[in-house]
Amino acid sequence: MKFVPERLEVAAGDRITWTNRDIVPHTVTARAAGIESGELAQGKSWTYVARRKGEIAYICRLHPVMHGRLIVK
Amino acid sequence: MNYPQLLAVALVAPSLALAQAKPSDPQIAHIVVTANQIDIDAGKLAKSHSKNKEVQAFAQQMITDHSAVNKQAGALAKKLGVKPQDNDTSEALKKGAADNMANLKKLKGAQFDKAYIDHEVTYHEQVLDAIDKVLVPGAQNAELKGLIEKVRPAIQAHLDHAKHVQADLGKRADSGKKK
Repeated sequence: MKFVPERLEVAAGDRITWTNRDIVPHTVTARAAGIESGELAQGKSWTYVARRKGEIAYICRLHPVMHGRLIVK
Repeated sequence: MNYPQLLAVALVAPSLALAQAKPSDPQIAHIVVTANQIDIDAGKLAKSHSKNKEVQAFAQQMITDHSAVNKQAGALAKKLGVKPQDNDTSEALKKGAADNMANLKKLKGAQFDKAYIDHEVTYHEQVLDAIDKVLVPGAQNAELKGLIEKVRPAIQAHLDHAKHVQADLGKRADSGKKK
């Protein structure tokens, strides 16, 4: 149960889409950055546009053992 | 020596008596649905009984995840025209679950939290063992086998999470003791 890839580098303005390929629901959540996908059921996707440069550490709110990192350059 | 923990383990040990060497697909489907429902029920009990935030969050995760798995399992069974069939393993699971629930209902506070989480650790270990040794090797239908394989990482994550909560509860208990 994890984000793949766990670390992703993108350019400011890029659109990043997460797709839940797991059987249980997940979220993409970074409270400090104001990111909250809501619960994504199996097969559902959610897209975020990374406008601000910097590093965003995110988790799955339902499974806090899942960690991801988005580096916006 | 930690007697309450020994007692809890002894009570749950028979809950996955996988006596059947080769269950059929309808039997495997029934085992999957039963195993999920058991953990949903235990989660609901823990959510209403526990006052510990960490335990409640874990219980909610069990309810959410195992409900999602059962929804998928039900849909797949319907699609494949497989009618889940009761069997010795699912009966043993139900019996073990009933014993666990009866035991938990007698407990309160920290004792309840510990007994619930200890059981969740053991239960998920047993389920992982069953997935690897009985359910995946036994499933004849590729989609049924695929579903069980897809569930495995969630069960592993639940086990890791349960162990984490178990360790935290242990720390709380230790810090509460007089030196």
